[in-house]
Amino acid sequence: MKFTRLAAGRRRSALALGTAAIAVAGLAACSSGSSSGGASGGALTIADVAPFSGPDAALGPTYLASCYGATSAINAAGGVDGHTLTCKSVDTRGDPADAVPAVNQMFASTANLALVIGCTSDEAASVVPIINAHKMAMFCMTGQSEFDSVHYQYFYRLVPPDLEESYADVAIAQQLGYTKIALAFGNDIGSQTFIQPAISALKKAGMTLTTDQTLDLTATTFRTEAEAIVQSHPQAIMTEALGSADPTLFSEIKQLNGGKMIPIIGTSAAISPAFFKAATAAVGASAFVANFHADNLVTETSGPAYQAFSKALLSQQGKVPGATGDFTTYLSAPGGVHLYDGINLAALAMVMSKSTSPSVYGPDILKIGDGSPGATVCYSFASCASLLKSGKAIQYEGPGGVTSFDSYHDSTGIFQIDTYSANGAVNVVGNLTAAQLRAVS
Amino acid sequence: MTLFLASVGFGLVTASVLAIASIGFTLQFGVTDVLNLAFGAVMIAGAFLAYLLNSHGVNIWICLVVAAAACSAGSVLLNAVVYAPFQRRGTAPITMVIVSLGMTLIIEFGVQAIAGGTSVSYTMSQGPTVSAGGFTLSAVQFVVIGLSLLVMAGTHVLLRYTRLGKAMRATAANRTLARNCGIRAGRVITATWAITGALCGMAGVVFAMDAGSFDATSTDLFLVLILAAVFLGGPGQAYGAMLGAVVIGLATEVSAAFIPASYKYVVAFLVLLLMLGVRPTGLLGKAAT
Repeated sequence: MKFTRLAAGRRRSALALGTAAIAVAGLAACSSGSSSGGASGGALTIADVAPFSGPDAALGPTYLASCYGATSAINAAGGVDGHTLTCKSVDTRGDPADAVPAVNQMFASTANLALVIGCTSDEAASVVPIINAHKMAMFCMTGQSEFDSVHYQYFYRLVPPDLEESYADVAIAQQLGYTKIALAFGNDIGSQTFIQPAISALKKAGMTLTTDQTLDLTATTFRTEAEAIVQSHPQAIMTEALGSADPTLFSEIKQLNGGKMIPIIGTSAAISPAFFKAATAAVGASAFVANFHADNLVTETSGPAYQAFSKALLSQQGKVPGATGDFTTYLSAPGGVHLYDGINLAALAMVMSKSTSPSVYGPDILKIGDGSPGATVCYSFASCASLLKSGKAIQYEGPGGVTSFDSYHDSTGIFQIDTYSANGAVNVVGNLTAAQLRAVS
Repeated sequence: MTLFLASVGFGLVTASVLAIASIGFTLQFGVTDVLNLAFGAVMIAGAFLAYLLNSHGVNIWICLVVAAAACSAGSVLLNAVVYAPFQRRGTAPITMVIVSLGMTLIIEFGVQAIAGGTSVSYTMSQGPTVSAGGFTLSAVQFVVIGLSLLVMAGTHVLLRYTRLGKAMRATAANRTLARNCGIRAGRVITATWAITGALCGMAGVVFAMDAGSFDATSTDLFLVLILAAVFLGGPGQAYGAMLGAVVIGLATEVSAAFIPASYKYVVAFLVLLLMLGVRPTGLLGKAAT
């Protein structure tokens, strides 16, 4: 009898353990992805801290594609002082409440961490102080203006503040001859920061704001919001509402506007294969591409830096977990280009300082990016590392162009205007000058 | 005025989708005693199954039928493997809620692990759009409203005129007494999981068709609306769920015509709280004696 009870107790314990294991395995599968191949005993890890699930789930794989491309080229060139580099995904779900424990878990479970990339506006405010406190270098994809004036020693940024992107969108509207604009932005932190600068820029540009709709990213339909936009008769809609929100809004606007799309001006976040796939599925490729423009940072589309970048990135086609749609779109995605540059800058700084400790190699990121008098300009990790090993001073110029870091480690470029082709390829159809941005800021 | 009328039309569409789901949810809860918070996750699993078939060229209406059948089988399995064993051990109702919450995460993240985190859409035509007197609805939206009316009528016929429906009502009212009267409560509960699972699958596909673009987490907020409709109407009350769905659907869309749209769900819950303040058992719930 005693034995039977014991056995029953063991069975119950085993069942409970089994259930818990399945649950934990299920959750873990979604909260943290595995690293790319090539890891060895001396491998260093680059963590992609970004949303891989939730409304902004397209961002994480975009950055991961960049990480896979950059590390494959670095590893092919011999790695960083004998260390290979590997990528790890850390899912923040685009929510600070999920991001903080995910980042803490990352530090607890990643002994060989060398760099963090990602940290979007969704989670940057909560995770940047933590990463900084761990003295870990990070290249973040946040446009939040608080990072324009708060100094974090280990924080680096190659993308502009959101307010400049708002000015760029208004400048695009101006260039396209629109005078009546509707705003439709998601209710997430990353999208909300665009609204006030956009409203003031529209006012300064003498344009009319027809309506300002905030889209709840957890909602499933926006019919009333779409009807309000249609009834306000805008000539164009400025928007950033990622996930399924924007595609749903577009399809509802098309339905309510007699089958016609209203021209859309998106932010650089819309330049991603996932966004293109979702938007074209919702309204049709021809309707979408005929009515869509987006701002994007100027990136190179030819030359030695671009050739090295495209070769590295395209070699990873089909290998990046979560990457969907036309892989070549990553060649123009802001995260794809600028994080590739960030990883190269950090890796070259490690080579230059002969250290993988961010507190040691960090200052060299600025020296390599901004260059010094007499420095040799180089365009890929392999060529730059070779020059460093021969004792020469270098200036790395990647596909995102030259950097110019300020005292807060921000380096922002200038903007171009992008459209899509029906097959998802990104076209550059114009540029925005600094004077154009100043005129509306 | 035009926006108001348009929002009433949109509210009817939202109410229709909500009604199909709410009827399934409340029947399930009333008869089986399980507040199955995994209902939304099963819905989205059905929606993605339909997407898988649809992306291989299968007509969306056939996909709807297949998803309903699959979710019906899945729900029976969910009860047999997870909920029923816990209930047999006398697990407390609040613990069952936590179990169902755990199942929500497992199913939802399971779908996401397979389908990815990005948004997808069905390949289907919305049909011609009809505009009249401020209402603007597509042919598909009319079909969704029709489908919802059909489900409501079918539920009425099932509960009023069939032996199974009467057995379901008896089991919901008092399971022990129903057993003593010769009703095979176990079979009735299994049949309930099958029927409500089919409604769940149907609701998932209709929900995804209506949304236009959806991902693995799209039903997270919708589940809250289902709960609001169910508790507004009176938990376990099929007719109450129909009424609750109409009130919640209209409240969300019509309010968005007058206040910032991001607050439209707040209005729906204010309606719920006010109603529960006046009538704690819901619109059609029976008062405690």
